[in-house]
Amino acid sequence: MLEVRDLSTSYGAVRALSDVTFTAATGEVTAVLGANGAGKTTLLRTITGLVRAQGGSATYDGRELTRTAPELMPGLGIAHVPEGRGVITELTVDENLRLGGLGRGGRVRSEDLERVYALFPALADRRSALAHVLSGGERQMLVLGRALMAEPTVLLLDEPSLGLAPRIVAQLFELVQSLVVDQGLTVLLVEQNARSALSIAHRGVVLSLGRVVVDERADVLAEDDQLRHAYLGF
Amino acid sequence: MTVRRILVQPVVLAALGVVVIVLVLTAVDDFRSVQLTQMAYLGIAAGGLTVLTGLNGQISLGHGALMAVGAYTTALLLQDDEPMLPLLGVLVVATVVTLVVGAAIGVAAARLHGPYLAGATLALAVAVPGIALYFGDTLGGEQGLRVRVPDAPGWVLDAAYFVTGQDLTPSKYVAFLGWGTLVVAYLGLAHLSRGRVGRRWRAVRDDEVAAEVAGISLGRARVSAFVVSAAAAGAAGFVMALSVRLAAPSGYSLTLSLTLLTAVVLGGLGSLTGALLGAALLTFLPQVVTDAGVSAGLDDIRAAELAPLIYGLVLVAVILLAPAGLSAVSAPRGTGRAGPPRRENPHEHSAQAAAQEVGRHDRRPHLVGPGRRLRRRRPQ
Amino acid sequence: MQQFVNTVLGGLTIGMVYAAFALALVLIWRSTRIVNFAQAPMAMVTTFIALQIIEAGHSYWLAFAAALVAGLVLGAVVERVLIRPVEGKAEINAVILTLGLFIVLHALASVVFGNRYRSFPAAFGIRGLEVGDTTIALTGFDIFTILAVLAVMGLLVLLFRFTDLGLRMRAAAFNQEVARLLGVRVGRMLTLGWALASLVGSLAGLLIAGGSLVHPGYMDAVVVYGFVAAVLGGLDSPAGAVVGGLLLGLSLSLVSGYVGSQLVALAALAILMAVLLLRPQGLFSQARERRV
Repeated sequence: MLEVRDLSTSYGAVRALSDVTFTAATGEVTAVLGANGAGKTTLLRTITGLVRAQGGSATYDGRELTRTAPELMPGLGIAHVPEGRGVITELTVDENLRLGGLGRGGRVRSEDLERVYALFPALADRRSALAHVLSGGERQMLVLGRALMAEPTVLLLDEPSLGLAPRIVAQLFELVQSLVVDQGLTVLLVEQNARSALSIAHRGVVLSLGRVVVDERADVLAEDDQLRHAYLGF
Repeated sequence: MTVRRILVQPVVLAALGVVVIVLVLTAVDDFRSVQLTQMAYLGIAAGGLTVLTGLNGQISLGHGALMAVGAYTTALLLQDDEPMLPLLGVLVVATVVTLVVGAAIGVAAARLHGPYLAGATLALAVAVPGIALYFGDTLGGEQGLRVRVPDAPGWVLDAAYFVTGQDLTPSKYVAFLGWGTLVVAYLGLAHLSRGRVGRRWRAVRDDEVAAEVAGISLGRARVSAFVVSAAAAGAAGFVMALSVRLAAPSGYSLTLSLTLLTAVVLGGLGSLTGALLGAALLTFLPQVVTDAGVSAGLDDIRAAELAPLIYGLVLVAVILLAPAGLSAVSAPRGTGRAGPPRRENPHEHSAQAAAQEVGRHDRRPHLVGPGRRLRRRRPQ
Repeated sequence: MQQFVNTVLGGLTIGMVYAAFALALVLIWRSTRIVNFAQAPMAMVTTFIALQIIEAGHSYWLAFAAALVAGLVLGAVVERVLIRPVEGKAEINAVILTLGLFIVLHALASVVFGNRYRSFPAAFGIRGLEVGDTTIALTGFDIFTILAVLAVMGLLVLLFRFTDLGLRMRAAAFNQEVARLLGVRVGRMLTLGWALASLVGSLAGLLIAGGSLVHPGYMDAVVVYGFVAAVLGGLDSPAGAVVGGLLLGLSLSLVSGYVGSQLVALAALAILMAVLLLRPQGLFSQARERRV
């Protein structure tokens, strides 16, 4: 269980998060929704320590995360997949995946690599290609596969659907859903594409100007016309 | 009001400066006046460099080489007992020749930034002494060219006696020439940097994109800053040649270029007063430090290296401890600053991104404004 | 003809050294976006350490090894203490900082070791090879120089291509934030990168010094040549730096042999300006355009 409590931070004079509180239950998808600039990305970055928290906490299985160095996240079973896909374009597909596997410490096992390639057959064909040449969808698969190499228990996904064709988005979300069902992953899914996100989420948390304005079951949120119009724009 | 500010202030300062210079040069002996001449030529070159680096954000490690251009031009014109030009003419020619060389370099340099520009000008500093060696017949090779400083004209001697009550010695004559050049050069630099041209330089330094949007030609602003700065280096070379009475490659080594950069950083990038202060430090500190070194038991040659050691340490310390403290750059004063407006980000998201950029490192201000980070790729 | 052969051979040998030095600059540029102008005096200091050891009566190889270790340590300390605070800041800060370090090391070396010219021994003969009646200007030490640089390059390729550590170092160089999230200790990797680069720079210093004279300024021009070589290759590419070094060594050797050795630095300046203005992404890079 990932518990976020009264989390606050700011950039200079700009308050980016104010007392954000919610819980992401184990084995569920929690969607974090909201407009551009609502603080969604900052929330993930603050949880994993890329941005310093100025108040509050984020704990996973009792362990405080915000004051733990980002480098230690893979060891704690937490994979943060950053916005903008975050593939290292100068490395090959294989090297990107291996790098993910190194995160937990120790050597990379080839069966882990094969497991990921089995999950993403498109990547298997391009093992030694530079990540630079991959399409947007392939890059998203690569970062997801790379995160899975460290066998995480929590997946923090930042706007995975950004810039992808609807068909690819559907595939991607299907895959995330199957990971949750099959492996019991806990997923925190930051999305602007609220409709798609809510289709696989158990809970929805809506941020506005750095505050939690709605924290509700996903199916309820998706059907409440007033909430949808006010915050989600569909 | 503003017109008065722009015109009156530097002129008044300059007039006061002239009075102080006359008083000081009258009071000191020949040895000190040679030192003061050194301060003048370092000050002129550092003044030029401070305009380039402080106001326009370009760096040059090649100003020693530009001084060499001015010095060699001066030396070539002052080979005979009967010089073909009066000294003032020599100064003008030395300045113009260096200006032309500076323009050629500036056109190339305007397309470079940061480490690339530093590397290119470093190459210039290393390359130029070789030219004097290669054309040894004309430029005197390793020994260099002797400079015959013409005697002061009779009316100057009379005037000097009338004002100061002493005979004008040759080294004092050169000291007066040097400081006269400095006053004129600083007046020119101050005038330029306070006016339209200076605003353009600062605008380009602060934010290239905004400057371009406001209709400023980046290339022209950069080249003009380099040209002005080179002209100052040429004038400095003229004074140095007169004072040392020699133009030789060893005088214009990489060390001189790095020394000038030190003066500019010590004085606080962007201020002429600072550049002059830096020049004073570079002139008078070495003797103090070297004496201390000798009395601590070092031999002369080693003791002479203590001064550069201190410059280097101070340079490092300034960057690490007080990048804003010495710089008028990161906190521009309100007056005289009318560049294009800073870009505002109505979009919270991009403001966030920019803030994250800052948040990742500590919040100490940069030596040069944040514009460098917001740079856009220019189509080639 | 013989002169031409000798000029070319000399150019290739010195080109290997420039390649090594350019490689050192590229390693640092790739990971921290800083051109380490202090690389030259850093290499000079380690060469003087070797010279002190040799003059104290110890073997050349002990001194050689000590200089390389000193380079490694010096690089790590410089990154940790001086460079870390300016990483990611305005680029002019790092430029001024490395120049400050340049002046400091120069002056320090003059105070500690004196600034007269001192001769540095070579490990192998410095007489040319004799082929039939003619003497080729390729000495035993030249061959050692070429082999030493090739060996170091080979080791670096092994490290970066085939080890987990090398993969982590590359990740840290290319994308610090993503690397951190994947568990890479980016700070340590950068320190290690500077240390390795400084070691390679020290090797270049030792190879230039061998069989010739050293003084505190003997590497100053080499930092310019290394920079030009690195820019020829695109500044981002280790392979480009090596090719750039060889090309530059060859060109400068030709200038020195047929025009005049005094103009070598001017030729380097001309080559640098031509590359920066005509092909700023470097001669061999297919990569995207680059802002210089």
